[in-house]
Amino acid sequence: MTKKSFTLLLSSLLTLSMLSACGGNNNNEAAATKDPGTSTGTNTAATEPAAEPEKPTEIKIMLPLNTTDTPPDTIKTEVEKLTNTKLTYQFFPADTYEEKLNSSFATGSLPQVTYLKNQTTFLQMKEAIKDGQFWEIGPLLSEFPNLNKLKPEILGNTKVDGKLYTLYIGRPLARQGIIYRKDWADKLGLAAPANTEELFTMAKAFTEQDPDGNGKKDTIGLVDRNELVYGAFKTVSSWFGTPNNWAEKDGQLAPEFTFPQYFDTMDFFKNLRDGGYMNQDFAATSKTDAVNMFTSGKAGLYIGGSMQDIDSLNKDLIKNVPDAVLDTHSMVAGPDGKFAQWMIPGYNNVVLFPKSAVKDEAELKKILAFFDKMMTPEVANLMYWGIEGTHYTVEDGKAKATDNKELIEREVKGFKDSVIGEYETNGMYQSLNVLPGRIHAEELVLENVKVGVADPTAALDSATYTSKGVELQQIITDATYKYMYGQLDKAGFEKEVENWKSRGGAQIIEEYNAAYKK
Amino acid sequence: MQEVTAQPRVVPEPKPKSYKSSSELKKRLWRNKLLYVMLIPGVLYFIVFKYLPMYGLIISFQDYKPYQGITGSEWVGMKHFSRLFTEPDFLNILGNTLILFGMNILIYFPIPIILALMLNELRGTFFKRFFQTLVYLPHFMSWVIVVSISFVMVTMDGGIINELLAYFGFSKINFLLSPGWFRPMYIIQVIWREAGWGTIIYLASIAAIDPGLYEASRMDGAGRLRQVWHITLPAIRGVIITLFILKIGSVLDLGFEHVYLLLNSMNREVAEIIDTYVYTAGLRQGQFSYSTAIGFFKSIVGLIMVVTVNKVSKKIGEEGVY
Repeated sequence: MTKKSFTLLLSSLLTLSMLSACGGNNNNEAAATKDPGTSTGTNTAATEPAAEPEKPTEIKIMLPLNTTDTPPDTIKTEVEKLTNTKLTYQFFPADTYEEKLNSSFATGSLPQVTYLKNQTTFLQMKEAIKDGQFWEIGPLLSEFPNLNKLKPEILGNTKVDGKLYTLYIGRPLARQGIIYRKDWADKLGLAAPANTEELFTMAKAFTEQDPDGNGKKDTIGLVDRNELVYGAFKTVSSWFGTPNNWAEKDGQLAPEFTFPQYFDTMDFFKNLRDGGYMNQDFAATSKTDAVNMFTSGKAGLYIGGSMQDIDSLNKDLIKNVPDAVLDTHSMVAGPDGKFAQWMIPGYNNVVLFPKSAVKDEAELKKILAFFDKMMTPEVANLMYWGIEGTHYTVEDGKAKATDNKELIEREVKGFKDSVIGEYETNGMYQSLNVLPGRIHAEELVLENVKVGVADPTAALDSATYTSKGVELQQIITDATYKYMYGQLDKAGFEKEVENWKSRGGAQIIEEYNAAYKK
Repeated sequence: MQEVTAQPRVVPEPKPKSYKSSSELKKRLWRNKLLYVMLIPGVLYFIVFKYLPMYGLIISFQDYKPYQGITGSEWVGMKHFSRLFTEPDFLNILGNTLILFGMNILIYFPIPIILALMLNELRGTFFKRFFQTLVYLPHFMSWVIVVSISFVMVTMDGGIINELLAYFGFSKINFLLSPGWFRPMYIIQVIWREAGWGTIIYLASIAAIDPGLYEASRMDGAGRLRQVWHITLPAIRGVIITLFILKIGSVLDLGFEHVYLLLNSMNREVAEIIDTYVYTAGLRQGQFSYSTAIGFFKSIVGLIMVVTVNKVSKKIGEEGVY
C-alpha cells in the first residue's frame, strides 16, 4: 500500500502542492504579521549597546542530507550557544532533494535559509532569482568582516546578471582523478599511467593478467557507473583534451560534444568495453553498485568524482581484501602529450534567502550575521569537524578525525556539508591524513589546478539553457552511451547533435555567444 | 447464484424510495445517525485531498510563478497542452505508456485470479497459509530492492543468469541495456512483486461462497475443474469486474518509481513513460505548469476510460462500480 500511495503522491504532487500554495501563502502572511515585530524589535536593541543579553535569532534552514538519518542535536546545540541563535534544521534526503526544493518553492514554503543541491539546481533557480524572489546580498557583504573574505573569483561564478544572491560552499577546483589498486599494479610491474594509452594498458592488464592471483580470470580493469559527469567519462575526456563543457571553435563558443576529442574519449570507452576491460553494464550501474564492485576486490580502477573518496573506499575494501593497497593518480597526458583537468567553478552548493520567508533587510542582516559567525574558525570547526575530543583531535595544527567513522557520519556529516567557504577563508583546520593515497590525493588536487580548464560559460546566462538545458542534455547523454555501446556511429551521433540543435540547442549556442561577447 | 455475488449491504432496506414527508426522511436520517457520523472523515478526506487540489489545475493554463501565485500568474491558454502534443517524443512516450498498460491488463491482471483459484484448491490449512504468505511477501519490498535484486541476477558482470547462459554455451544477454528486454523485465518484476498481494481480495470473496453449492455440485458428479468453472469463477465475477474497472482508471499510472529505476540511456526509447517524463521535464526542471498540464491530460484519459468501461459493463448486465 505504501508503494501505491507513493506513486499516487508523486503523480498528484503538483496538483496537491498547488492547494497548499494558497494555504501556505496565507500561513506565511499570518506568521509575517507576527514576525517583523519581534525581529525589528530585537534589531533596534542590537544596534544600541543592550544591557541584557540579546534574544537569540530564530532561523529555519533547509538543506540536503547525504546520510540516512537526521543527525541528533549534539552539534546544533553547540552552534546555537556560539552564535546566539535558535536554529531549526530541515534535513531532506539528497536523492530526492530537487523534488522537495521545487515543491516547497512552488508552494512558497521555503525557509529563511535555503541550501540548493548542486550547480545544476542553482542553474535552474536562476530564472526565479532574476525574477526577484530572493534577496540580493552583494551590497551587504562588506558589513560582515568574515563573509567579506569569501573568494571574489568564486563569488563571481555564482553571480546572476552581475549581482550576488548567494553564499557558496567551497570545494577544491579539481579533485578528480584515479583511485587504483597499487598492490595489483606493483604485482604486474605497472607504474601509475602517465598517459591515456598506459591507462588503457593498465585496465587491460588488470583484466587479463590475474592480478589477485587466484588463478581465475575474475577481475576487471575499470568500474564505471551511469553518470557522464561525476563518473569516469568527463575526467577522462579532459585528459584527451576535450573542453570543459564549452570552448571556442572558429571564433564561436561551441559545446564539448562537437569537438573531435569528445569522439576520442567515446572511442576509448568503447574499446575498453568491447575488450571486456570495464563493467559491461556501466550504463545501468548505480554508484552503489560500482563502489561495491570496487570494494569487493573485483575491479582495479575507479575514476571520477573525488580522489578524496579513497578514505571510504579503502575502509570498505580492506574489510574484504585485507592486504589491498590503494593509491591515487591524476596526471594522465592526452595523445598529444599535454596535461589537462576540468574544473568546477569552486563551489559545490550555494545558499539562498527567499523573500517569501525573510521579510525585511533587518531580518536578512541578522541571518547573515549568523553566517558571518559560521565563518569564524571556532564555529566552522565545530560544524565541519564536530566537537574536539569527541569527533576529532588536533595534531600538528590539523584535525584528525576519530576512528569511529559511524559516529562522525551520524552526528557531524549533516552539518559538515553546510559550512560556507573553505579552510582558507573560514580558518578551519585542514585534515590530517594518514592514508598515503589520501596524502597523495591532496598534493594532486593542487597539481590539478595548475593544468585546470575552466568552463567559459560558468558565469554566463542562457535563458534557453535554464529552461530546457537539462532535458536537451539527455539527448546527448543517450547518444554518448549509444555510441560507446556501438549502437550509433559517428554519423548517427552527429545526427543526434543536429536534433539537439533543432530542439533548442542552436538557441543555447546563440545565447551563450551573445553573452560571451559582452 | 445472485445472493452470492450481491455485496453485503450496510443499510438493510432495499432501494431508497422517495419519501412522502420530510419528517419521514428526518426519522430515517436520525435512525442511521452513527453511519453518517462515520461518513464524515471519508468525506472530509475526499474534499481536502481530492477535490480542493483540483483548484491547482488552473496553473496548467498559466505560466505559473510561485511568488506571484495562482492569482498573479499570467494566463497562457492551451500553450502547455499544445507543447505536449507537439513534443517530438510525445507519441513515443504515450505509446510506451499504453503498451506497458496493455501488458499490465493482459498479462498481469489474470495472474492473481489464477493464483487465487490455485491457492483455493490447496487442501490443508498449513500449506495454504504457507504458500499464501510466501507469494505475498515480495509486496513488502520496495521497488528499489526488487530492481537491485534483478540487477544482481541479470548483470553481465557475473550475474547468475548470464553465468548460467554462458555455462550452457549460450551467449550472454544484456538484459539491462537492450530495449527488447525492458518490457519483459518490467512485467516479470510486477508479477513477482504484486501477484501474491493481488490474490487477497479474490481469496476473500472465494471464502464467502456458500459451501452448499459445492456439495450440491459434487452430488451431481462435478469434478474439481467443473466446480471452479461453474461455481467459483461466476461467484467472483463481480469482484473481478470491479477490480478491472478500477485498474482501467489508473490507465496511465504505471508506477513511476519502478520504471524510473529501470530506465537508462540505452532503453529510453521504450522505457520513457508519461510519469518519468513528468519527473524529468517537469519536476526536476521546475516547469510546474507544463507538468500539471501533463498530469491533467493523464487524468482525463483515465476518466474517459473508466466511464466507458463502466458503461460497457452495465450494458452486458454486470454491476459496474457506480
